[in-house]
Amino acid sequence: MPGVLDGIRVFDLSIAAVGPWAAKLLGELGADVIKVESPAGELSHAIPPPIKGTAVLYISANFNKRNIVLDLKNERDRTIALKLVEKSDVFIQNMRPGTVERLGLGYDVVSQLNARMVYVSASAYGRTGPMAKEAGIDPTVQAFSGWCSITGSPGSQGEMFRHLAHLDITTSSMIVEAVLQALLARERSGKGQHITIDMISTALSLQTSRLAEYFATGEQPQPMGSAVTTTVPHQAFLCQDQEYLAVGVVRADQWPRFCRAIQREDVYDDARFQDNPKRVEHRAVLTALLEDHFQTKPTTWWSQRLTQERVPNTRVSRTVDFHALRNDPQVTHNQHIVDLATPHWGTPSVDGLPWKFSKTPAGPIRPGGLKGEQTQEVLREFGIAGD
Amino acid sequence: MPGALEGFRIIDLTQGLCGPFASMRLGDAGAEIIKIEPLTGEASRTMGPPFIEDASAVFLSLNRNKKSVVVDLAKAEGQELIRRLASQADVILEDLGPGEAEKLRLGYGDVIQSNPALVYCAISAYGEEGPLRDLPGAELVVQALADYTHSLGKIGAAPVRLGADVASLNTGIMASQAVTAGLLHRVRTGEGQRIAVSMLGTLLHMRGIMWTSMTDPDEWYGFHLDHYTRPPDEGYKTKDGHVYFGLRRGSSEDWDRLMLSLGLEEYIADPRFEGFGREATSIGRHAPEVKPIWEQAFQKLSNEEVLKLIHEFRGDAVAFNTYPSLFAHPQIDELDIVKEVEQPAGGSFRTIGPVWHFADTPAEIHSPPPALGQHTDEVLTAIGLSAADLQQLRVAGVIN
Repeated sequence: MPGVLDGIRVFDLSIAAVGPWAAKLLGELGADVIKVESPAGELSHAIPPPIKGTAVLYISANFNKRNIVLDLKNERDRTIALKLVEKSDVFIQNMRPGTVERLGLGYDVVSQLNARMVYVSASAYGRTGPMAKEAGIDPTVQAFSGWCSITGSPGSQGEMFRHLAHLDITTSSMIVEAVLQALLARERSGKGQHITIDMISTALSLQTSRLAEYFATGEQPQPMGSAVTTTVPHQAFLCQDQEYLAVGVVRADQWPRFCRAIQREDVYDDARFQDNPKRVEHRAVLTALLEDHFQTKPTTWWSQRLTQERVPNTRVSRTVDFHALRNDPQVTHNQHIVDLATPHWGTPSVDGLPWKFSKTPAGPIRPGGLKGEQTQEVLREFGIAGD
Repeated sequence: MPGALEGFRIIDLTQGLCGPFASMRLGDAGAEIIKIEPLTGEASRTMGPPFIEDASAVFLSLNRNKKSVVVDLAKAEGQELIRRLASQADVILEDLGPGEAEKLRLGYGDVIQSNPALVYCAISAYGEEGPLRDLPGAELVVQALADYTHSLGKIGAAPVRLGADVASLNTGIMASQAVTAGLLHRVRTGEGQRIAVSMLGTLLHMRGIMWTSMTDPDEWYGFHLDHYTRPPDEGYKTKDGHVYFGLRRGSSEDWDRLMLSLGLEEYIADPRFEGFGREATSIGRHAPEVKPIWEQAFQKLSNEEVLKLIHEFRGDAVAFNTYPSLFAHPQIDELDIVKEVEQPAGGSFRTIGPVWHFADTPAEIHSPPPALGQHTDEVLTAIGLSAADLQQLRVAGVIN
């Protein structure tokens, strides 16, 4: 069965993670994605670690694409690019503001040639203002956007998320939303349009619920370790065996079940704790009480009882065990992580598809090529004689 | 100008953060969102303090551009009402948990009886298969299962979560994609379908670079691998704050002058600082180890002075912002991302607006978050219920 974007062609001129990951998701939805690189190659090639000589970032952000090389500073290759653009539906670029225009592929040029083009320009800090020209990468966006100020051990000033791609891929996801919306609008209008997006806005959007507290109170939400401002209890508890158990009571009906699971009907009967706003108000008392109580039995006991009562919980392992995670039945049954056979990089574990469509299945995930690997194939398809 | 999703009606059965974030994004894009709430109101209405009037700030931040209809799903008449709403809608969005909608006869197979072209999106916590399928989800639990706590805090110490609600909100984005993709297919072919997304699947997807990195790397090196064993990164301490910087745009001349300006000339020849500090700053190999050297130089300077100096030598540097320092920065005004929403009863609140700038189909805030059940009568009357029907349902405790 064809994917939802079967018949849609994406001209992917993007670099690093933000644009490429968005184009990859569109490819997984069934689009024909042509990744265009300069002869020097885009900057992700230099990011370690590599697998058999190819940067993992490059492998990972470029599934379901064909890879071609064009030197846009050369007139002949620019003409080829324009031919491809003429027959594409989506254009994605995330170079610094002004760069794509200098390469002669700005929105004005592209939309003249192809009025149906959905054209995305992604930037780090926006296209105007004092920081417009600065290059942004995930960690600088983390630092600038206030993202780090709400995360960390209690009493700390906040810390960075050391998986340095989360805000990149969040932006990618929001690009995909916008492209799908614009393709839907095009069904009615017959016209494409220009979409702009910046990483600071996407980072703030992802902090919507924490920012709500800040806007309401004017007070900076503090790093709270595993806990959170607005819901109690929702944190990790140290158990008798010195392991941590993450627990969240996030719906009203979970509170009586939680109290039953931990065999503390007295806590359930306590008027100070009867609903979430009261528990937030009496957080210090309740948390101290629960922290003591969880220390009296090992993690397994609590986890079994909470699971029986359908209260969200999981053991928080102290160390990373990739193979245990990879082989966890929850992960394997749902194909959250899968193995991908590739011609160049063996069979790495890769991110599974984030959606399951009953009629227009996404995927299958296919490895992308090496830089320029499909140049001749794509040019032949467009009736352009290769070198 | 109408938004991209103008004219589509979405019945939203979700509560909390994830589903409501998805439907808010679809509403921003112009879809009509009919939010179904239990008699006591949806879960996030009590996620606080802080509260503004009687709604939590969290609820207000996730529920603009929606109509609130109160229906008790535990009652057969309530379930029938949803099927009736579904017969005149384009999309159902639900997060009841695998198998739960079917128990209420609100599963995909039930609602397509009267409306075969429906797009049905189901959100689950951990995926619809596997041993955890029946366990409800919570933000921290999903973050921990997806290994997020290992990129935060110190090895062996108490776990740290991401302050942002990423398991919920990132999954909301995936659900919003799924719904729009489903609508796109339907507009082209007339065919509806069922689509599933999960919080665990989303977070594991977003960490894919790491799974691939760990499979068979040529060398155990690079930030996708060594972040597990690095200490917390709090930026570089200055006299009055913290900064984050890298010198990726520098040249040899810039670099030497920067080192001289900071009184760090003794490190110019240090191999850890070679290549214009590429491995000594930002995410470089030696960055954690040489951090005290930078901080010694920065402690005499303010944040502003450090940023100015690094920019002067063509490096990238930003403040490690708190919310107050972020919103005092002039760049934020350029982005037009903070919106003031007027409340019908007077007063207003600030929130984060739509992130996309569409040239032709603008995403906008049309209406403030609804009061509980504000649109029950309006919406149910529009699908053909009479005043007597409403009265009967109200007496039976099915609606408010």
